[in-house]
Amino acid sequence: MNRKKFIKGLLATAGSTLLVNQLLAGTDPSLRGLVPQPPLLLPGDIIGITCPANPMELKEMLNTQRLLQMWGFKICVGNTVGQQWERFGGSDAERTADLQLMLNDPSIKAILFARGGYGAMRIVDRVDWSAFQQSPKWLVGFSDMTAIHCHVHTLFGIPTLHAEMASGFKQQETISTRSIRYLLSGNRIEYTAPAFGQNRKGTAQGILVGGNLSLICAMLGSKSELQTEGKILFIEEVNEFKYTLDRMMMSLKRSGKLSNLAGLIIGGVTATRADNEMTFPMSVEEIISEKVQEYNYPICFGFPAGHVPNNYALKLGVPHHLQIESTGSFLREIIAPSVVPPVQPIEDSTNNNLMFGHLPVNG
Amino acid sequence: MPKKIKVPPYLKKNDTIAIVCPAGAMPAKKAAKCIETLQQWGYHVKAGKTLGQHFHYFSGTDEQRLNDLQQMLDDPTVHAILCGRGGYGTSRIIDKLDWKKFRKHPKWIIGFSDITVLHSFLFTKLNYASLHAPMANAFNEDGWKSPYVFSLKNALAGKKNRYKVAPHPLNRKGTARGLLLGGNLSLLVHQLGTASDINMKDAILFIEDISEYLYHIDRMLVQLNRAGKLKQLAGLVVGGFTDMKDTSTPFGKTIDEIIYASVQDYPFPVCFGFPVSHEKENMALKIGMPYEMRVGKTVTLKEI
Repeated sequence: MNRKKFIKGLLATAGSTLLVNQLLAGTDPSLRGLVPQPPLLLPGDIIGITCPANPMELKEMLNTQRLLQMWGFKICVGNTVGQQWERFGGSDAERTADLQLMLNDPSIKAILFARGGYGAMRIVDRVDWSAFQQSPKWLVGFSDMTAIHCHVHTLFGIPTLHAEMASGFKQQETISTRSIRYLLSGNRIEYTAPAFGQNRKGTAQGILVGGNLSLICAMLGSKSELQTEGKILFIEEVNEFKYTLDRMMMSLKRSGKLSNLAGLIIGGVTATRADNEMTFPMSVEEIISEKVQEYNYPICFGFPAGHVPNNYALKLGVPHHLQIESTGSFLREIIAPSVVPPVQPIEDSTNNNLMFGHLPVNG
Repeated sequence: MPKKIKVPPYLKKNDTIAIVCPAGAMPAKKAAKCIETLQQWGYHVKAGKTLGQHFHYFSGTDEQRLNDLQQMLDDPTVHAILCGRGGYGTSRIIDKLDWKKFRKHPKWIIGFSDITVLHSFLFTKLNYASLHAPMANAFNEDGWKSPYVFSLKNALAGKKNRYKVAPHPLNRKGTARGLLLGGNLSLLVHQLGTASDINMKDAILFIEDISEYLYHIDRMLVQLNRAGKLKQLAGLVVGGFTDMKDTSTPFGKTIDEIIYASVQDYPFPVCFGFPVSHEKENMALKIGMPYEMRVGKTVTLKEI
């Protein structure tokens, strides 16, 4: 691993303790590192797997099953896995019931969503979240699951995990899946992203929110619409036309979601080309930069999360510290000093996969 | 009670219609038949700078498109503005337009698709009626003598719309009266949560769209529903949803079934197959004006 990066990470950590002290003395209670988080997982705990959106066949679950077991967890496979109704992993009622069962069952300690696609926003209003509010558990997923992230953050302020889903589990542990294991078991990740021409330097602290841009926009006008003021917004998108990206960014801008951010993080964003139209006169980075050029919060492009090979797990709904320098971008969770675990780097045998960032972990 | 909408003056012989492109680019020759026909109808035509101009995808930079539309809005000798085409780009300039002079000399703004952004803004923020109708390309080939282009002619002259629609098996019977709102579904949804979010209370909503994935259409309808818009409607008019795309996991429902399912819990009348679309079938509809829809053995939508 890159020694320089690691040293920088350590320095940043020392800084974060100071920072948290300052924040604790400040007035914003949301930034005191005291946002309660769902309990961490212990060996032997049960992780539930359910399909709120697209279907998943049982045979597609083998890698997930194997890896979760290797990690020391038990698995509860929901009724929606191996089932299909129209394009979904069950009817709205069936998908709701399956998720409901897992939310309410106290022996299930975390819920890993099977895959994205489309369908979560069709059931978020049908779910009774009261048991989950009483005893939160980590909800793990991304893409279409952004509907659930937004709903849970806006209505209940409970942190969730933006991360790879069961469909993305490979035979071996990858950066994406390892980062889930780290976060669920209480290790910290100090994320780094390479320097990027369109980045805007600076430092920000705020609760990290966001996810897939299409789904963030699909929440606008509803009660699950994200509140972004004073927060660090993370967005990612896959395979949209540039004019659609532009239109969605205009929606965010015109609904005031971009005006009072603490910072903006852009994960993987890919655009498809419209063959039948003349080319859109802007790059993806320009489309995004243009919408926020009048503000002065820091902006990080190329963050390793979203529909990218290294989809680092992120704790949404949790205060983070973002630092963007000429050498790269650095993100870490703000942790109350009393609970800061020691940071100890691990050498990574699959270093080839390490495109961005590193995963320090406490021993 | 529905609000009182302001109605721009209908057109008289020798009035002037301006043509501008606030979004995508359009070659001038594609508007030739439109200009010729408008002249035959007895109007003068004033072509804006953005017609026949292009800046990559757009008909000009934001500034050029804004200035062209602004100039026509401000010009008291222009009595209506026909948008050359849609595409994408109106929402990039909508918040920068100055409506002071328009309020003094209101005029009909005509178009559909991306122009839905202008319609929504006129209805929500300014309280003016506008015209959802064929644009310049619709006049080409034999379009200029079609009933659809003819409906634009009638609407401009101040005739009231009266449309009869073919019956459809998914229609839900009933009668509704309300202000007519609507346009392109993607663009209507694009307004949610913004300053031009539309108040749909007691309205008759019409929707159409093109080249979208079925699951996108469903997502947009769920969004409208979750934003509380669908339950407020007096009636729903479903236009053309053409060139729909599906994913490798098929949706398992037709487009009409998807739309029907999204409003099945509500009591208002629903009419499918109304000729408003990105295809030739595109009847002029006056957004913001009171209409009556009757869905029974016969189906009618008429201005009242």
